[in-house]
Amino acid sequence: MTMATNSAVSGHAAGDQEHASHGQEIAGHVILAPSAVKDKLVGTTEAGATRFRKWAIILTVLAAIGLLGLVLKYLQSSDDQTKWGYTAAVAAFLLTIGGGAPLVAVAPVLAKANWVRPLTRLASAFSLVGVVTMIVMIPLVAILPPLITEGARRRSIWFESPDWTPHIFIFLAMGTLLMAGLGLFYTTALPDFAAMRDHSTGRRQRWGKMLARGWVGTTVQWRTLRMRIGMFGTFYFLMLIYVHFLFTSDFAMGVVPGWRDAIFPMYHAMSSIQGGIAVTIIAAWAGRRYLGLEDYLRLDQFWSLGRLLFASSLLWIYFFFSAFIVFWYGRSMADIAWVDLFIRGPMIWAFIPAMFMSFLVPWWWLIWNRIRTSVNGPAIGAAIVLIGLLLDRIRIYVSSWAVPPDEIHDKYLKHIPGTVWPDVFDYMIIVGSIGASALIVMLAFRLVPIVSIWQTQEYQLLSKPVKYIRGHGVLVAKPD
Amino acid sequence: MQQRRVIDQVETNRVLLNGQLDTPKWWLPTVIGLGIAVIIGFVIIGFMVNRGLGVTGLSRPVYWGLFITTFVFWVGISHAGIMISAILRLTQAEWRRPVTRAAELLTVFSLLTALIFPLIHAGRPWRIAYWILPYDFARGIFPNIRSPLIMDPVAISTYLTGSTLFLYVALLPDLGNLRDRTEGWQKALYTMLALGWRGNPRQWKLQTVGGILLSALMLPIFVSVHSIVSWDFAVTPAVEGWHSTIFAPYFVIGAVHSGVSAVVTMMALMRWLWKWDDFIRPEHFDALARLLIVVATAWLGFTFLELVFALYTLDAPEIALRELQIFSWPWNMMFIVFLMTGYVIPVGMWLFKSVRNNIALMFWTSLFVNIGMWLERFMIIVPGLSRRTPFVYTWDSYRPSMVEWSILVWSICWVTFLMLLFSRFFPLVPLFEQKESQVFVDKIKIGRAEVPAILREQE
Repeated sequence: MTMATNSAVSGHAAGDQEHASHGQEIAGHVILAPSAVKDKLVGTTEAGATRFRKWAIILTVLAAIGLLGLVLKYLQSSDDQTKWGYTAAVAAFLLTIGGGAPLVAVAPVLAKANWVRPLTRLASAFSLVGVVTMIVMIPLVAILPPLITEGARRRSIWFESPDWTPHIFIFLAMGTLLMAGLGLFYTTALPDFAAMRDHSTGRRQRWGKMLARGWVGTTVQWRTLRMRIGMFGTFYFLMLIYVHFLFTSDFAMGVVPGWRDAIFPMYHAMSSIQGGIAVTIIAAWAGRRYLGLEDYLRLDQFWSLGRLLFASSLLWIYFFFSAFIVFWYGRSMADIAWVDLFIRGPMIWAFIPAMFMSFLVPWWWLIWNRIRTSVNGPAIGAAIVLIGLLLDRIRIYVSSWAVPPDEIHDKYLKHIPGTVWPDVFDYMIIVGSIGASALIVMLAFRLVPIVSIWQTQEYQLLSKPVKYIRGHGVLVAKPD
Repeated sequence: MQQRRVIDQVETNRVLLNGQLDTPKWWLPTVIGLGIAVIIGFVIIGFMVNRGLGVTGLSRPVYWGLFITTFVFWVGISHAGIMISAILRLTQAEWRRPVTRAAELLTVFSLLTALIFPLIHAGRPWRIAYWILPYDFARGIFPNIRSPLIMDPVAISTYLTGSTLFLYVALLPDLGNLRDRTEGWQKALYTMLALGWRGNPRQWKLQTVGGILLSALMLPIFVSVHSIVSWDFAVTPAVEGWHSTIFAPYFVIGAVHSGVSAVVTMMALMRWLWKWDDFIRPEHFDALARLLIVVATAWLGFTFLELVFALYTLDAPEIALRELQIFSWPWNMMFIVFLMTGYVIPVGMWLFKSVRNNIALMFWTSLFVNIGMWLERFMIIVPGLSRRTPFVYTWDSYRPSMVEWSILVWSICWVTFLMLLFSRFFPLVPLFEQKESQVFVDKIKIGRAEVPAILREQE
């Protein structure tokens, strides 16, 4: 197919044009004028001010309740490890969704997938949730037993390291992850800050001027930007795996005697990717609905994310089953204790709905192409997955932290603890930390457009609708 | 990056069918040589069946040795086909096109070869039937269908059936092409195999939909096969080093690493032997090498986790096993070779674009990977068994006999022999994929630059 044919085809296809709100749609491909893109997306930082204020107040109140709950719980139960399971579960949940979402902005970009362009900003903003995660982690780190307890060294991945190594390293690692996420978020936003500086007035212009740091879009600046995105993206991915490795081994496996599960860090990291995809879908759904971004967050984005969510739900069950069959079939004392503690024991009430909502329901829901090619279908699937993941984290961490610390040196768990139900402080922490996370992401989108302007404009340059036999296609450039 | 040149359909047919319509000069002597090696291999197998497993190095407590290692190795290689063909098809990776047939073929032949190893390893192959088929319900003697040893043949034979179907569906348009260009018995053969292929829109639609459906259906089987093979080991707490939850994904990712590397080796050979420089280009090696860097690094991560959580228990037998694997002769040498050839040398070299685009270096580095991956399986299986365990008073190390080494060499000759036989009758690069790629690849002009572009069909 030659270029001449392409031009001719584009002309023919004009007959099929439908007018979207401010773009020109040719057979499913929207052509947007650069100025319209800038105006619309820069405008999102001030859109819906009344609704934003209302939600900001609600979420701030929730965040304050959460913080109060955290402080009160620490004052009341700082000497009892078994009462901190729900806080550990919340920290794990926030790490799961907040840590995983930026990968949606990284992995498809490295694979040159164009559908992800309108989603990169949304996804990378969730790295800010790391601030809330670190606050929730403070009492947990204080309560986590040292490496040497009762005169003996407990099992850990730190072997002969000094006593407080896990406590220091988890903070260092989570801090580095947060910095890498912020670096990714800020770097990808640089050209958009410049757009705000050049195409807006007042507060937004001042912010744009301050944050754009002299961005004028020279060839060198673009080259550096791409290099930085690649570096931050790769570093973020490696740090995320490392943080999951530390978190799972120190805050779950390390507190249960005899639990040795090499796949568990990868299971945790994989479900983090699943949670990241789910929360990105929810955020995209909200952005499309409340900010009028139908031309930007289109069916293609929901369809592609729906497929990824479907695939990650399959991976969830694969990783879960890979561990389960080994414990179930192995039937050593430690294996039986694992099955009793995490599956059929005190947390079965969380395990069964977690299994349904992390795998069975999303699998059966998203397997249908008609569901995936809709906006609400993937969003419903994503909401179910998020609830499932919270329950899964509760299953794992509440069970683990319920084990009395005096059994930590045993070869395997001899007594399965009873069910631990959340107290009022746990409810406050759960609601508050989720509220604080939503607030921090919302605030980020008052600072920078929710959809990346430069990535949207770049896709407009790189794609072109063409006629293909009797149908339509899009010619998508793949620069090196 | 695109290095392709426009090749019309006549030229494509002429070049890619040269293995079928003309026999290359090297083909017959090579096939005869390999045929002799294969016959010798069968004679050795017959000798072993006649004399029993005493002619091998297998002895208590090392009852799984080179045969099971080679079985796992060939099952691993078989993951190439679905990885390349199905996953890359579903993700619409354009560069997959010339590679798919060879990968699918490697899957089928390596699975056929893998199946032979548990059979001959049994010593009395006919007794395999006792493991699978119920034979005496009255006395309660019947196979435990929950055992991975039973799930194994079921999964592998399902995978083999699916892969063969996958290969055949993708072969149909090329069979139609061959039917129209041959005469005599060959025409009769291709007419029968082409199933009335005429290339009308309905047939193309069915073939495309069939390919996509098979791709999606094969993926769970692809994952399950090596997972089940890994559970042969992982569900056994009695052997140190085996009872690990990470084995399933660790085996699968290792299989992809070794399978895709085998495809690279094969592509280099195809390019050299059939002179398909215009079809199998450096850009394909470059793309595969980049994929392999990711896969190999993930595999190394799993290797690390497996090791860390083995030591994590601080159990004395587990630590002793790892000391044996890493520090004791000759395992320490094998460990170094495994790590260097499986990851350090190839991935270190693939980081450089000049290496990724160099066919000879890609050939050698991909061969290295498979040496490393064979050693990896050997080091997982044997040291755990050869360690002293409580209440077992017979312990020994294991040294494979010449019979076992000969059968390993035979298996490589056997797969190569089958591939060459196939190449005489069927094209190794799919013609229709090649022609389709000519339509789907284009350029977009952005400013003064021309950027390579891919056509994506709209829903």
